[in-house]
Amino acid sequence: MKTRAFIKTVELCFAVVVFFFLNAGAFAGSPPAQEVTYRLKWLLNISVVGDLWADVNGNFARRGLKVTIKPGGPERDAIKELELGRSQFGVASADQVIRAASKGAHVVVLAQLFQVNPLQWIYRPDRTPVKTPQDLKGKTIGITYGGNDEAIMRALLAKYHIRENEVKLYSVRYDYTPFYQGKVDLWPLYRNAQAPIIGEKLRKAGERVAFLNPFRLGIQFVANSVVASKKMLEQHPRTVKRFMEALLEAWGEALDPANKQKAIDVVLKYNRETAVEIVRRQLPATRSLMLPTADFRFGKIDVAAWKQTEQIMLAQKMIAKPVHVETLLKPVVQ
Amino acid sequence: MLYRRLYQFFIIYFLGLASLMAIKYGLQLSDYVIPGPSEIAQTGLRVSGRYLLNVLNTLAVAILGHILAIVLATVIGIIGRLTAWISSFIRVAAYNIQAYPIVAVAPIIFILLGDGLSSRLLIAAMICYFPLLLSFIGIFSEPVPEIEHFFEATRRMNWQLQIKIRAFENIRKLITVVVGSATLAMVGTIVAEFIAADAGIGYSIRIALYQSDLAKILVALFLIGICTSLYLVLLEWIGYRIRRRWEIPEGGLK
Repeated sequence: MKTRAFIKTVELCFAVVVFFFLNAGAFAGSPPAQEVTYRLKWLLNISVVGDLWADVNGNFARRGLKVTIKPGGPERDAIKELELGRSQFGVASADQVIRAASKGAHVVVLAQLFQVNPLQWIYRPDRTPVKTPQDLKGKTIGITYGGNDEAIMRALLAKYHIRENEVKLYSVRYDYTPFYQGKVDLWPLYRNAQAPIIGEKLRKAGERVAFLNPFRLGIQFVANSVVASKKMLEQHPRTVKRFMEALLEAWGEALDPANKQKAIDVVLKYNRETAVEIVRRQLPATRSLMLPTADFRFGKIDVAAWKQTEQIMLAQKMIAKPVHVETLLKPVVQ
Repeated sequence: MLYRRLYQFFIIYFLGLASLMAIKYGLQLSDYVIPGPSEIAQTGLRVSGRYLLNVLNTLAVAILGHILAIVLATVIGIIGRLTAWISSFIRVAAYNIQAYPIVAVAPIIFILLGDGLSSRLLIAAMICYFPLLLSFIGIFSEPVPEIEHFFEATRRMNWQLQIKIRAFENIRKLITVVVGSATLAMVGTIVAEFIAADAGIGYSIRIALYQSDLAKILVALFLIGICTSLYLVLLEWIGYRIRRRWEIPEGGLK
């Protein structure tokens, strides 16, 4: 009896061991996808086409990541979410990064999305020609007090020795009525997302529009970049690398002219409010701001531009002391 | 009353601040997420003078808007008591208009009136007007049979007398509603400034938000709390004076 029981026990153990070995490959071969949250800076529009592309086309999934993309907005701050642990990756503008670093936040920049700041000023060249910066004198210029455009415009005026009392600064808000009415000569907008909409309206009204691009006048104020916490980079470097590889690959694909229609479809899938014709115009405008030349490497961090951004913020007393922004720039994927 | 109201506000504010500090130090958050006490104090010293003027500016608009809303609600409330149909119609209109979020209506107001004083005033009045209106309609439509019967029987009743009787009988309710709606007027003005104005504390808060400067917002909240408390105390004092003049003392008339 005892021998039989012993044999049965051995058989059972053997069966368990065989089952384990047979299935070990299966257990090891399909690790659960790692979940991370990615907080964008703004709503789901053309400026996040690459992020949405990665979600739709499985760029994240192929690298074993399950990414929850959350839209941003005026009251959202990705850097605060990183610190609070609600997101692992985010999109923030350079001024947010520098301001956060100046207040002790440990944030790193992984890639720079826009090489040219999309924040520009629309104007009517027939009514208010602006051929040189000196033409700004006497004009009414819209700015969002406290916003990026205020810093950029003040830097521009300072660079060209235009005193504040030589222009009239006008506090802008969401609706463009003062610009349509001609009360304001130059109005700030996002060149890729808003300009196709506003420009179209004015063209329909028979008016010509042009854009004042501070970048062309030597003002480099970096816009959106991909950020993470320093802790995340140090503790999970492989996750960060996989995320960035997937993201940069997706952006490259989304901005590839060969994938134009697919990219438009991706935007329209998430944003049904914008007409397809508008998205069609927004896409090349976005491409030119992110890939200024045909052979440009997407996501490259422009260190000089970051340093200039820091200098502008220091000069305008937006930060109390230097943060040495170059130490925050960590492009993990070249 | 003033002293008690202020120290109660201080207790609430500093409890709130202490909770924030507990979260900050408990979770080891940087000054970017929640500023430290020294930064809040320094910001307070730096901006409180300017912010106080902005809060007073906002308060002035809120008081004007509140007065406007009280006058409007009284007039419409009196008209509303004429027939049950008009009363019901005004109520339905009030409920529906109140259901519209002010952030959606505000751009239309700003297009029509610009971003000056009139828009802020209108939004402040709109936000505190509807609760006032609904209460006023209720009070002015509610008969006081034991008193009104005498004047009706003696054929001395007219609409002015009817309003006086109903207001007199519900004076405590009216004062409570007016005092309660004062905070709504303040909120309405701040929301209007936040959305699209170029003056007032709501505008300053918007700029501070753009700059991710929570210290400035905390200073603004402190000043808003103090000024709103002062306004509420003033209204309560006016209500107390009115009640003393109108109401029969508890011991009866001597």
